[in-house]
Amino acid sequence: MQPLRIAFAQIAPRLGDLDANLARHLELLEEARRGGAGLVVFPELGLTGYQLQDLAAEVAMRLDDPRLSRLAAASAGLSAVVSFVEESGDHRLFIAAALLEEGEVRHVHRKLYLPTYGLFDERRFFSPGDILRAVPSRLGVGLGLAVCEDFWHLSTPQLLALDGAQILINVSSSPGRDLAMASEVGLGTASSWRTLMRTYAQLTTSFVVFCNRVGVDESISFWGGSEVIGPGGGAVFSAPMFDDGLFLADVDLAEVRRERIALPLLRDERPELVGREWRRLVAERAGLAPDSTAEAGAKDGLDVAAESAPGRPIGFRGAPGPATRHPAAGPSKGGAR
Amino acid sequence: MTGSTQSGRSTAARPASTTGSDGTSLFELPPELAIDTDVARRVIAEFIRGQLRQAGFERAVLALSGGIDSALVAYLVAEAIGADRLRCVLMPSGSSSPASRSDAEIVVADLDCSSEVVEIGSLVDGFFGTGTTPGAAGAEGLEASPLRRGNFAARMRMAVIYDRSVTWGGLVVGTSNKTEALIGYTTLFGDNACAFNPIGDLYKSQVRQVAVAIGVPEAIIRKAPSADLWPGQTDEGEAGFSYPELDRLLFWRIDKRRSVEEVVGLGFDPAFVARVDRMVATSEFKRQVPPIAKLGPRTTGVDYLYPRRRPGSARG
Repeated sequence: MQPLRIAFAQIAPRLGDLDANLARHLELLEEARRGGAGLVVFPELGLTGYQLQDLAAEVAMRLDDPRLSRLAAASAGLSAVVSFVEESGDHRLFIAAALLEEGEVRHVHRKLYLPTYGLFDERRFFSPGDILRAVPSRLGVGLGLAVCEDFWHLSTPQLLALDGAQILINVSSSPGRDLAMASEVGLGTASSWRTLMRTYAQLTTSFVVFCNRVGVDESISFWGGSEVIGPGGGAVFSAPMFDDGLFLADVDLAEVRRERIALPLLRDERPELVGREWRRLVAERAGLAPDSTAEAGAKDGLDVAAESAPGRPIGFRGAPGPATRHPAAGPSKGGAR
Repeated sequence: MTGSTQSGRSTAARPASTTGSDGTSLFELPPELAIDTDVARRVIAEFIRGQLRQAGFERAVLALSGGIDSALVAYLVAEAIGADRLRCVLMPSGSSSPASRSDAEIVVADLDCSSEVVEIGSLVDGFFGTGTTPGAAGAEGLEASPLRRGNFAARMRMAVIYDRSVTWGGLVVGTSNKTEALIGYTTLFGDNACAFNPIGDLYKSQVRQVAVAIGVPEAIIRKAPSADLWPGQTDEGEAGFSYPELDRLLFWRIDKRRSVEEVVGLGFDPAFVARVDRMVATSEFKRQVPPIAKLGPRTTGVDYLYPRRRPGSARG
């Protein structure tokens, strides 16, 4: 048994009030330490609140901000994941999650996927990160940090696991919605997340740690329900939905080895195959190579063939003419990507 | 789920109850509109507490009509913050049915919250006049249509409830449901005026479901919904639809983004679909803040975007 006690800080941050949230973080770090935790996880934007809009620039911190240093110093003897608005030297704003260890900011993950649809408007206010790396930790295993929407993209958990993470940590501010009766927990959002996390844990044969906030920002309510899923895909611990508090859960890190020996999915991954096909997709989308599934007659970079008609200019290169691809192109995609 | 405590009453999701104490059906619940009322109550309670905390208020005030919407909101507020912090204001006018007032009084008695009655008939009559005596509107006001009088009464209630917000020291809680907001069956700056609205994303059928779960008196759940602007008026009689049918259509058109052709394929009458689509489109303005002419570098609601409750904005 390689026991690790994980503390979930399932809190309701005060919107835009960095000082109050910082004080709460310091309290909970201390409480987690007293409770014997080795890893403490705070939710997405736990230091600032979520629905910031134009407040984002006002609560942003550079990585050399003394408040962040103070938090790092308070995490001595622990591994802590905290989240805030990070301002880069060239004044871009990121939703960041940082791993604090041994009094230092050990690793920073900038949220890669910024949802800007439905009730979300993140891309308006934030810049997306460009780097996804697993990080070694004092816990003796690699950690993979991700923020909320990052886990709605399959490649995120896969890349983190292949890069050496054995614990995938997702920090979230997930707004609860879709009060469906059909859902196992009465909330469509929660059901979707629970499915994702179990699937990722199983497919990456890793622990998945999910810390989601509670409380209310403006119209939206956050549902909590923080969880840790074992590498076999089963929940080890599920925190209550909607309740504010620090929740402790014990996991056996040796489970990762057992699962990976029994089910060597990661061993059998084909990163060179995936990389090659992704490079092909990128070239096709950029119009640098014929799209193998586009309609016959579609220009490179487009997947629908414009209809040729007298007097109607089509295409972007010279006169309208025959298809630029082989006639045996695949079936129509029937819609835009 | 493990360790879940969703409402404090029960840890397991319960099937929707539509059955009254006498075993008969209280209302018709279209299956696609069924929600988990435990989760709804938990979210709404947090929402109410959060709105008050962020604004620095501990109390709430609402206009209690005797209908199901405001009755449900009263129960939800009482569940969230305690009945002792709620004040219900009953504002009958000459056209209100006596049953509305007695139903409202039953809610107040059941919740044991504070209440007061403000007769608004004199405010409406003072403007439109009575009998052959003109009011502030002049002789023309004596001929005012029921619609004008109804809208005026709704705005007088708004004026009174905002005055009571000051005297009671509480935020005004909205009581409009999603169905009436979507079809525009509200009075602009009248019954839709509020500091926050806990039930504005619940269709009428879902309001009824939560009302059953939280214990709103059955008589209030059973009776025909009415704006109570003139004697004998009912929503369904006036608009010519049934709430279950309307809720279903709105759910598929709006929540589930189905096209006209698709909902007709589900069995909805094309003329009904067209009519409801038109009601939704023509009332869009009622659901939005008025546009401001964009002139300066930063304009409220356009490119000056802050949360309603910023740090330091809370009262007290």
